[in-house]
Amino acid sequence: MSKWLRENLWRHAFATSMCIFSLFPLYLVVLSSFKSSGSLQLDSFVPKELSWDNYKMLFSSPKIPFLSWVKNSLIISSVVAISSVVVGAASAFAFSRLKFKGKKFGIQLLLLVQMFPAVLALSAVYVIMERVYSFAPSIGLGSQAGLILVYLGGSMGVNIWLLKGFVDSIPAELDEAAKIDGASPVQTYWLIFIPLATPVLAVVCLLSFIGTFNEFIVARLFLVEMQGRTVAVGLQQFIGGQYASNWGAFAAGSILASIPIVIIFLSLQKYIVNGLTAGSVKG
Amino acid sequence: MSSIFRGTFATAIKIAILAITTATLSLLAQSAFASGESAIGAFLIFAIVALNFTYFTKFSIPLKFFVPGILFFIAFVIAPIIFTVVMSVFNYQTGNYISKPASIEQVLILGVEPDANQTTFDLVSGKDAKGDFAILVSDIANKRFFISTQDAITDVNTAELTINEYGVATTAPGFTTISDNELATDDAYSKIRYKYQDGYYVKIEGQGVGAVFRQKIAYDAKTDTIKNIITGERYINNGKGNYALEGSPEKVLTPGWRTPIWFENYTKLVTDKRFRTPLIKVFIWTVVFSALTVLSTFSFGLLLALALNRKLRGRRIYRSILILPYAMPSIMSILIWGGMFDSEFGAINNILHTHIAWFSSATFARAAVLLVNLWLGFPYFYLICSGSLQAIPSELLEAAAIDGANPRQIFRGITLPLLLQILSPLLIASFAYNFNNFNLIYLLTGGGPRNSLDGEVAGATDILISYTYQIAFGRGMNDFGLASAISVIIFLLVASISFYGLRKSKVMETFG
Repeated sequence: MSKWLRENLWRHAFATSMCIFSLFPLYLVVLSSFKSSGSLQLDSFVPKELSWDNYKMLFSSPKIPFLSWVKNSLIISSVVAISSVVVGAASAFAFSRLKFKGKKFGIQLLLLVQMFPAVLALSAVYVIMERVYSFAPSIGLGSQAGLILVYLGGSMGVNIWLLKGFVDSIPAELDEAAKIDGASPVQTYWLIFIPLATPVLAVVCLLSFIGTFNEFIVARLFLVEMQGRTVAVGLQQFIGGQYASNWGAFAAGSILASIPIVIIFLSLQKYIVNGLTAGSVKG
Repeated sequence: MSSIFRGTFATAIKIAILAITTATLSLLAQSAFASGESAIGAFLIFAIVALNFTYFTKFSIPLKFFVPGILFFIAFVIAPIIFTVVMSVFNYQTGNYISKPASIEQVLILGVEPDANQTTFDLVSGKDAKGDFAILVSDIANKRFFISTQDAITDVNTAELTINEYGVATTAPGFTTISDNELATDDAYSKIRYKYQDGYYVKIEGQGVGAVFRQKIAYDAKTDTIKNIITGERYINNGKGNYALEGSPEKVLTPGWRTPIWFENYTKLVTDKRFRTPLIKVFIWTVVFSALTVLSTFSFGLLLALALNRKLRGRRIYRSILILPYAMPSIMSILIWGGMFDSEFGAINNILHTHIAWFSSATFARAAVLLVNLWLGFPYFYLICSGSLQAIPSELLEAAAIDGANPRQIFRGITLPLLLQILSPLLIASFAYNFNNFNLIYLLTGGGPRNSLDGEVAGATDILISYTYQIAFGRGMNDFGLASAISVIIFLLVASISFYGLRKSKVMETFG
């Protein structure tokens, strides 16, 4: 017994305290979402009331287009995630499997450029999209299509890099066998590589989805109209605006918006961890 | 199956997709050129040529894979970076956004003065007999009524007018009034200068009211100067995007225009104390913040991984709970923490039974930022470390144990050095990530506390990137030029840190 205590007690104690630390803010949000007072105050650890007002408000108040925020976020994130994988996978395949002049330079450029913090190029992107707006308002500043283009293009470097890490981990033997049998690179790509890589591409797609869903500042600068906002920007209004903070509605909204992301994340955690390492370390 | 990718069907699809893309891009390019955005137009033409050339010739097979990616990459990654570098040598800031011709136009529009009495008239807007825009003006004080267009003024006899109870003429022969609705939709209407006497003109100032002005300044294209017609003062192009009064260069006409000022943004950061001091302060905090974050998240993650690195009851439950902070969308978490630190209603003060105004004190705000980032970041290192711990060969540890090393010695002598070696690229990547952790700072403290009354832009928790954002997009003065210069500097810093890290981890050598 004492040996067990000596060896395991600190482990349980430390893990438990870190669990409490992890859970505390989340518990508080759940608690607040069921409170009608709209504050993030902790009056007691045990819920005193169970009011659905905050949730009802999200769906019924005409001033809060919560559903259209969710819809916008889903549309923008899905389009970005799918397109970036479709476009990125081809480049990643070429970088990983084909031999050509300037490959090393290309990879180094990719690596260098992704270190340019996206937020810093924001003023430039803003000015460019403002100019695009002047001749094509539907894909310029303020439009969702414009935002999608910016996300898609802006993440291209990182995405190709991440995908290349994944592609490198797929064995190349089958490609080579296909090549010996006389398949062209394009055929190898569509007939051998894509079927093999589908699970991996799906993971990258979901990662990109989460990343886009989480993006705040570009969406905030780009989308001005209340109806057209994303969930993150919309919810931030409840607490960051010039009006009184409404933590209850924010809490309810962020729980609803987070649940799908958390589920995706937890079910993919193994791949995500591998991906996090594959992106930056090799071998 | 393979026939799909080789046969006429595939070719037909390829041609259809390319045709649609080409048509769309051509339309866009056309309208880009039409509205003077020739750089964007040129890029679109380039994209059309590149796409068609690549997919209709056998010039290069790798290019077939790359072209869409490359085009996006150029448009939204490379172009903004180049544009940032270019902007960094410009005076692109509030008051100098527009082009030179637009600036002169604005200066001329603003360069008017009212007459000595600041005369205003009641008037009715409409069109004269010829169909030109005109106003029917009632000079009630002088009992004078006239119809004025851009180039003519015609007095009207009182007898011919309908005059309402306020003494204002509402109709006149040959004059048709325009409804308010029509006026509101026509923007050009409010800019018209209607003729009056002695060089003065009448301008519509509001519904049914006009005021008397005259042009005070004029532009002389030959000498590129602006002259005050009345006083004879001359404003000279100061080479920095403004016209400045001859003899007193601090008196400039606004708005100015954007123009290269070369390295002034950079030298300003080095030599001007007002810019250098905050920049150094922010830089130091950025480094401290990133280093402490990496240290704290890594230590807690590692400790947890060690604690749970054996069969333990409830390990799976622990693991699922511990990665929750990482699984939550970080924006939501940061905003929630922001609420918890609220001085009056926040849960933190509730629990501690304190009344600390967390975000009003530099020290407390910094502590809060670090604590929140620990919460956000430790699960990442926990996951990474527990994976890496399993990768350490157990023979090594067993051999050390047989040699009589105690667990602490094994950890310090074998586990930690090995882990650090495996994880050093990730530690450096984490440092670089936090170096630019914009969302955390912006959403948690907004970079504050800062003394904005003193015009201070840099707050106590501002890191370089949020400071740059404040300069470019913050309230008050927006200086894209200066922000771009700082961006370029940050880029060079981060790139060199990361390249050092990569060289160390020998990743670069495996390319090729």
